[in-house]
Amino acid sequence: MKLTQKEVEHIARLARIKLNEKEIEKIAEDLGLVLNYFDKLKEINTEGIEPTAQVTGLENIFREDKINTEMAEISGEKRGKILAQFPHKKEDHLKVKQVFESR
Amino acid sequence: MDDIKKLTIKSAKAGLEKKEFTADELRKEFLKLIKKEEKLNAFISILDSEPVIGVYKLKTNLSGVPCAIKDNILIEGTITTAASKILKNYVAAYDAAVVEKLKSAGAVFLGKTNLDEFAMGTTTENSAFGVTLNPNDHSRVAGGSSGGSAAAVAAGLAVYALGSDTGGSIRAPASFCGVVGLKPTYGRVSRHGLIAMASGFDQIGPITKNVEDAAMVMNVIAGHDQLDSTTSPKSVPDYTKNLGKDIKGYKIAVAKEFFKTGLNSKVANLIEKAIAKFQSLGAHVDYVSLPLTDYALAVYYIIVPSEISANLARFDGVRYGHSASDTKLLIETYLFSRAEGFGPEPKRRIMLGTYVLSAGYYDAYYLKAQKVRTLIKQSFDKVFEKFDVIVGPTMPTTAPKIGEFETPLSAYLADIYTVQANLAGLPAISIPCGTIEDGNKNLPVGLQIIGKHFDEEKIFQIAYAYESNR
Repeated sequence: MKLTQKEVEHIARLARIKLNEKEIEKIAEDLGLVLNYFDKLKEINTEGIEPTAQVTGLENIFREDKINTEMAEISGEKRGKILAQFPHKKEDHLKVKQVFESR
Repeated sequence: MDDIKKLTIKSAKAGLEKKEFTADELRKEFLKLIKKEEKLNAFISILDSEPVIGVYKLKTNLSGVPCAIKDNILIEGTITTAASKILKNYVAAYDAAVVEKLKSAGAVFLGKTNLDEFAMGTTTENSAFGVTLNPNDHSRVAGGSSGGSAAAVAAGLAVYALGSDTGGSIRAPASFCGVVGLKPTYGRVSRHGLIAMASGFDQIGPITKNVEDAAMVMNVIAGHDQLDSTTSPKSVPDYTKNLGKDIKGYKIAVAKEFFKTGLNSKVANLIEKAIAKFQSLGAHVDYVSLPLTDYALAVYYIIVPSEISANLARFDGVRYGHSASDTKLLIETYLFSRAEGFGPEPKRRIMLGTYVLSAGYYDAYYLKAQKVRTLIKQSFDKVFEKFDVIVGPTMPTTAPKIGEFETPLSAYLADIYTVQANLAGLPAISIPCGTIEDGNKNLPVGLQIIGKHFDEEKIFQIAYAYESNR
C-alpha cells in the first residue's frame, strides 16, 4: 500500500508541516511500507481485551488546588528566561502573525 | 593521570580522596580528551565555562566525578538541542529533575551528547549534527538514540553519562559500544526537563563502564517528583546493597522467540555462553515463550509516533525554537517553521502518528495497538509469576556500518528485542557479554536482562554476578 499524494498532503496539513514534492513522494513510500507492516496486528484476536495506556498501576494523581508558593517563586525567577526564548515579542507579550487572511 | 579513560565512579572518587588529582584538574583533563577525540562526534556542546560545573565539595559518590548528559535533558542556561535544528539556539530556562539531583550530589558536567533527532532512531544517523562514530570501529555507528552518551563512556571521554530510552535508546548504543546501560522501570526516574518524545514510554537512565557505577547513579537520580506525576511514590532502595551477593537459586527465563530468525548466529553463541555462565553460578535457567515478540514492533511504531505527533505539536515557531521568517499568516508560521526545523525522521513519525490517529483509522491502528499492548504486558506478567528475570540479546547484531539501514523500516526492525520492556514498562539492562571479531576490529555484544517492575535491585545483582565472573 502506498499513500496517494492527496492523502499525504492532507495529513501534512493536519500535522502543520509544509512538505515539498520530493518529501511527499518519499513519505508516501515510507509510510506505505510501515503501514503494510502494521497489518500483522490483524492476526491477533483482541476481542474483549481492554486497551492499555499505563502499566505501573498509578492512577488519578491529584494535588490540592493550592498555589505552591515555593514553585511559584521559582517560576517567577524563570519568567525572564522563558520570555527570552520568544522568537517575536512586544514587551513581555508573544507576537504572532495575523490569523485570518485579509480580504 | 595516565589512565583517566579507564576511571570508574569508584576509582575517580578514590583518586579525588587520595588527592591524586583535584576535581578541577580531572575536569580539565577530560575536556582535553574530548577535544582530542572530536572526530567521534560524541558531543554536541562542551560545557567548559564555570557556571555549569556544579559543586564538587560534597562528599557523595558522584561529587567531582565528570559526566556527560544527553542533549535532550535540560541544564539551565545552556543550549539544549535534542539534535534538532528547530532547537539549535534554545537555552534551557531550568534544570531537569535529574540534573538538579546530580548537581546536589556534586556532579561535574562535561558536555551534552549527540543523539538521533528528538531521540528518534537506533543509530544516531538521524542527528541534525551528524552521526556519532563507534569507538570500536569508526566505520560503524555508535547506536542510538543515546549514541553520544554511549560512545563518550566507551571511549573514556566521561566517567558516566545519562541517556534516555523510549524503545531501546539506552540499551542499543550500550550494546553496540560495549558499555552498561539501564532503562529503569517506567516511573522510577523523573522526566521533568527531558524533551519528550513519547511520554508513555520515555525513561532516563545511566550509561556506565560497569554495573556498580550504574547502581550508584541510580541511587542519585531515582525517586518521586511532583513535577512528573508518572513517578512512583515507592521508596528508592540502595541499589548497591545486593551487589556481590550470590545468585544461587534465582530463576532465569530465556525467551525462545529471541533466538528466531534475524539473530546473528555469532551473537546467539555469545548469549548462550552467558546463559551457561548463569547456570554455573547456580541459577536455574529455563526456556519460556513471549509469543507476541513478533508483533511488539508494530504496536510500538503505532503508539510511539501517535504520542510524537501530539508531543511535537509544541514546536510551533511561536514560543521558542526556530521561527520561519517572511510569513504573512500564523498558519504559515506553523507550516514553514516546522518544515524548516524538523529533519526527515521527526517529519516521518509526526506524519505516521497523525495518520494513524486521523478519523477512520484510530480504531484499526491506535486502539488495536493498545489492546495488543495489554496482551504483551500479560505475557510478561505470566513469565514473572515463575521467574526473577528474563535474559536474551539486546540487539540482533553488532553495530551496523554507517548507512547500512537503507529504509526506515529496516532500522525499526533492529529494535525487536528492546521495545517490549518499554511497552510493558519493565526495567532492563544491557551489559557487555563479549566481542565478535570482524576484520581487525572487535565488536561488542550486549546481553539484556529484563526484570519485574521496580526490581532494578535484582537486575543489578544478577548483572553484577555475571560481570564479576566473566
